[in-house]
Amino acid sequence: MLETLSVMGQGFISALSPINLLMMIGGTALGIMIGCLPGLSAAMGVALMLPLTFTMSADTGLIVLGAIYCGAIFGGSISAILIHTPGTPASAATAIEGYQMTLNGQAGKALFTACYSSFWGGLLSCISLYFFAPLLAQLTLKFQSAEYFWLSIFGLTIIAGVSSKSIVKGLMSGALGLLLSTIGLDPVSGTKRFMLSSYFAEGINTTCALIGLFSMSQVFILAEAKIKERAKAAKVTDKMSLTREERRLIRPTILRSWIIGNLIGILPGAGASIACFLGYNTSRQFSKHKEQYGHGSIEGVAGSEAANNAVTGGSLIPTLTLGIPGESVTAVLMGGLIIQGLSPGPQLFNAQNAPMTYTFFAGFVLVQFFMLGIGLLGCRGFAQISRLSDAILIPVVTVLCFVGSYAIHKNIMDIIVMLSFGIIGYLMRRFDLNTAAVVLALILGPIGEKGLRNALRISQGDPRILFSSAVSWVLIVLCILGILSPILMNRLEKKAEKDAKENVPADSEIE
Amino acid sequence: MKMVKTDIGVVAVFYAICAFFYVQTQKLSAESQTYPTFIIAILFGLTTLYLLQMVFRAKKYGTVNSNGEFKDFQPLQFFGCLALTILYLLGVHFIGFYVSSAVFMVATLLFLKVKPIPVAISTVAVLLLVYVAFTRFLQVRLPAGLLF
Repeated sequence: MLETLSVMGQGFISALSPINLLMMIGGTALGIMIGCLPGLSAAMGVALMLPLTFTMSADTGLIVLGAIYCGAIFGGSISAILIHTPGTPASAATAIEGYQMTLNGQAGKALFTACYSSFWGGLLSCISLYFFAPLLAQLTLKFQSAEYFWLSIFGLTIIAGVSSKSIVKGLMSGALGLLLSTIGLDPVSGTKRFMLSSYFAEGINTTCALIGLFSMSQVFILAEAKIKERAKAAKVTDKMSLTREERRLIRPTILRSWIIGNLIGILPGAGASIACFLGYNTSRQFSKHKEQYGHGSIEGVAGSEAANNAVTGGSLIPTLTLGIPGESVTAVLMGGLIIQGLSPGPQLFNAQNAPMTYTFFAGFVLVQFFMLGIGLLGCRGFAQISRLSDAILIPVVTVLCFVGSYAIHKNIMDIIVMLSFGIIGYLMRRFDLNTAAVVLALILGPIGEKGLRNALRISQGDPRILFSSAVSWVLIVLCILGILSPILMNRLEKKAEKDAKENVPADSEIE
Repeated sequence: MKMVKTDIGVVAVFYAICAFFYVQTQKLSAESQTYPTFIIAILFGLTTLYLLQMVFRAKKYGTVNSNGEFKDFQPLQFFGCLALTILYLLGVHFIGFYVSSAVFMVATLLFLKVKPIPVAISTVAVLLLVYVAFTRFLQVRLPAGLLF
């Protein structure tokens, strides 16, 4: 216990090093910028910045990615409040009350509430990260080859079903990713499999695939639609602050939304977009001022923003301990972890890696403070950035995708792979297939294959080994639940969204 | 929920992928065949399941041409950007990263009807960002091109 506390303390000392602090500031500001641009998403931002972290130490690299993640989730609220266009889906519920407050001349108050609630939501979520992550990681010590195989299948069933309208299409995307993960040298016999050239000996470069599927595909999505002028951001005329009474009023809402967001984050497959609506609805149910909802309620803004930022710490728990990212952003973050040569699970908490892990955790805590500071000081500036036209974003993101994918191995083939995955990703998104499932399958595929083949080698080809332990059966049940959970999640999200919209005046539909 | 006709293409592509990988798998040694064949079987099974769902929907609810995937599609703008991106890739290889990036940025921004001043500012800002972040900070040697 004392030893763990000491490592945690050392983590804070390491996180406070000048380079880490600088990266936190840069990452948070960049994240907020990405978040407040309606054409860009948090996953896309993290994927785009992944190559920049290669040369950094593992903890610094993860801190940067974590800062972008937190910043982007908060940043979405700025454009939601000022131009009534959520920067990310995680801020959709914030737009309902936030924009009404702007219309009432309370834009400053709305932005302060969003920033303040996001800060507390994110900060409190770090508590569960510190508490649950090491405990859950210990559980995986019981895992053998067969269990690792089922764990990778579980991860896929979860993510495959969530982001797609059709569960079967999501699973098809996951299976396609698994098939693509077999390209390269056979990990056991060394046989060449489906290799068109020696470039693919080590398989498809996951980072290039990530950048292509999340970032380049977004460029094509932006390029296909008519480029529209974004609404001018409303001027912040009032003071950016809350009175003592108002702070007292939103305190219970923040606490409730923290619990909601955290649970949603820990639950693989659910994300910030669900949490924001649940947080918003719950705040309304418990509010003593229900009449203010739909007309600019600070409790509504606080409920939504605290919940979506509380997801961040929670969602890192299954990602870091079990290797199961619950949503696209954490799938990209896990890619970053693997690229740094680290594997999720108990090894992140052993004597060798614990200092790095706890430095990242401490960095994650500090990022919340930077988010508060940068958010409050820079809101007006970020609001102007949110008006940046898609016409400018298209070539800018393309250049960053090119340079990012090239920087990995300094090979032009990486750009070709990235561009190919960009086109594949665009078509997949257009036909309701799931790009996150492909990415996750590319990451989990080799782990699952190794687990399956090792298990079969031990049992001399007898497949009963896959069903021989209690842990395997638990994972099989979870796989079945993973396939069924999207039905429940869809209903939950639709109900929360419907309930939220019932309170919105007709003239304030989200653009 | 009606069956979407464009899904016929999706199913056909997935069957084609299964067929391609299956044929390629036959060229592997027996030991190496097992895992890919297992995955191909899963993908084939899921695609068939989706096909059955489509048939069921078509019979019960009827069909619809598309889900509105390309409702606001701007062909000239999209294919123009795609063509410029491919030319940019060739440019990076032949004339180097910085020159081709500058040309690509200016050409795409003008193609998308951005005014000259934002074109100049965006181009300089992006190139400067790449230079500071990648060339100076990460010390990545970006392609100089084959022609120079």
